[in-house]
Amino acid sequence: MNNKKIVLGVIGADVHAVGNKILAYAFEKAGFKVINLGVMVSQEEYIKAAIETGADAILVSSLYGHGELDCRGLREKCKEAGIGDILLYVGGNLVVGKTPFEEVKQKFLDMGFNKVYPPGTLPDISIKDLKEDLGVND
Amino acid sequence: MELKNKKMDSKLFKTIQDEVLFQWSTGKEVDFEEAVKYHEAIPEHKIFSRKLSEASKLGNTLIQPRAGVALVDKHIELLNYLVNEGEADLLPTTIDSYTRHNRYNEVEKGINESRKAGRSLLNGFPAVNHGISLCRKVNESVNVPVEVRHGTPDARLLAEITIAGGFTSFEGGGISYNIPYSKNIPLDKTIYDWQYVDRLMGIYEEAGISINREPFGPLTGTLVPPCISHSVAIIESLLAAEQGVKNITVGYGQCGNLIQDVAAISTIKTLTEEYLEKFGYEDVVVTTVLHQWMGGFPQDESKAFGVISWGAATAALAGATKVIVKTPHEAMGVPTKEANASGIKATKQVVTMLRDQKMELTKELEEEKNIIKAETRCIIDKTIELGEGDIAVGTLRAFAAGVIDIPFAPSRQNAGKVFPARDNMGAVRFLECANIPFTKEIKDYHYSKMLERAKYEKRDMSFQMVIDDIYAIGKGRLVGRPR
Repeated sequence: MNNKKIVLGVIGADVHAVGNKILAYAFEKAGFKVINLGVMVSQEEYIKAAIETGADAILVSSLYGHGELDCRGLREKCKEAGIGDILLYVGGNLVVGKTPFEEVKQKFLDMGFNKVYPPGTLPDISIKDLKEDLGVND
Repeated sequence: MELKNKKMDSKLFKTIQDEVLFQWSTGKEVDFEEAVKYHEAIPEHKIFSRKLSEASKLGNTLIQPRAGVALVDKHIELLNYLVNEGEADLLPTTIDSYTRHNRYNEVEKGINESRKAGRSLLNGFPAVNHGISLCRKVNESVNVPVEVRHGTPDARLLAEITIAGGFTSFEGGGISYNIPYSKNIPLDKTIYDWQYVDRLMGIYEEAGISINREPFGPLTGTLVPPCISHSVAIIESLLAAEQGVKNITVGYGQCGNLIQDVAAISTIKTLTEEYLEKFGYEDVVVTTVLHQWMGGFPQDESKAFGVISWGAATAALAGATKVIVKTPHEAMGVPTKEANASGIKATKQVVTMLRDQKMELTKELEEEKNIIKAETRCIIDKTIELGEGDIAVGTLRAFAAGVIDIPFAPSRQNAGKVFPARDNMGAVRFLECANIPFTKEIKDYHYSKMLERAKYEKRDMSFQMVIDDIYAIGKGRLVGRPR
């Protein structure tokens, strides 16, 4: 167990639940404390949970295509709430339609996310990145 | 509210209807008498139930994609492309996710952004915001029957507008559009709201307009054992029939083992008809639909075609009345119209090539059918018992007790204790039966199947098998063998 906490959830009106359960399982096995908000999570809910638990990162999943609409303004809300520096990761099928990933990545980096992952990214990748970003030694 | 499986009283229906039509400005355009006249003028070849009956008689498998974009003219262009280039037999109008959760203000923003951006930022067609006359424009601009496809816990206003808007088929149900499609909406609320939807269809039926209803088969689309999805389909058919629905297409999501899938399509029809008859609903016409693999897809488009074609072959050999197709873009999200048309054409090629072959009734197939029937009857009969004869009440108690438990469902109304996994031949079995009311014989059967796989893979039965199965098709296999 490392002492890092993450808030995990699927944003907006998205109900894709299977990947969320796999991510929760994988991050827990990797030693993180996982606060899994499940599906249909609003920006406010992520932030509230992060503040209440003193989380180190918020991991946003979006699979249904509305990521572009749902993720806007999250970084700003974090700043307003006093957790402006929290790590924000996002992954999934982030836009409607097959789009070159570099374009999608830039869009979400511009929104203030620290890491942006393409469709089908295995948990190992984001776990490795998160450990690096949080200075977790194995 | 006290839920019971009883045809909704007309005064109550009217009271609720007045509230429902007030939920968004487009609701006030609904005029039942006028809508009936509109439907009477719809030509035969555009009526969903007619085309299904004809296919059923001829032993054909009709092909239907999923599709929906934000703006009306683009949506019409898309649908016509799927028929003209894709050769689709039936069309959808897939509703966007904000509409599915009644978030009509967010829908409005999405429509405006889509206009500005010149592309759809919504993942479907916002039928409620567009209203009746634009729905009619869609239906009048295409030349095959169109069905409303979605995933909506409270679909009352959507149903009012789209049916008045000329659609002749409507997907969903109080369980299948709650448990896999929401986080924490009480099951009694959605069953009640869907009784309204089914009653609306019943009222149209009484006026001579037959609207086809399709309970959503695949549920969470991930390793759902046939007995579980069949149970939901049967319950929703009974609930619909009570409200006056006479035309039902029951659905099943392809699992990938051919014998299991063929057995599933055969038994879903037999069992649905059996229980409809048992409860005294005569003259309900039952057809079937197979959904091509609903889980994770390979990113490589050629590999994706492999998966699509396997679903097409299964649907044809199973004799499903209809098959819902996937596209080579599935791993990436909403497909372009070209990708969607490609999926339809690949499906059509396989379905048509297999027309003259039938699946042989082997001992294995007979056995698999018997297993599915026995398992499903355990669940349904227990549900009826829990409800003391009332299937609606029984359903609430069954979910509370985990007698019905849908694997991987997001809803907190679902017990979530059942775990499925594939056996050594790829059929979906139970790794953990939890509170499903199986006989000891059935539980032992699943255990022996899983043991066989464990021995073959030289590892213990565990949740890791389930995870491996979830990733398997995306990585090129059916059974998630250890790395």
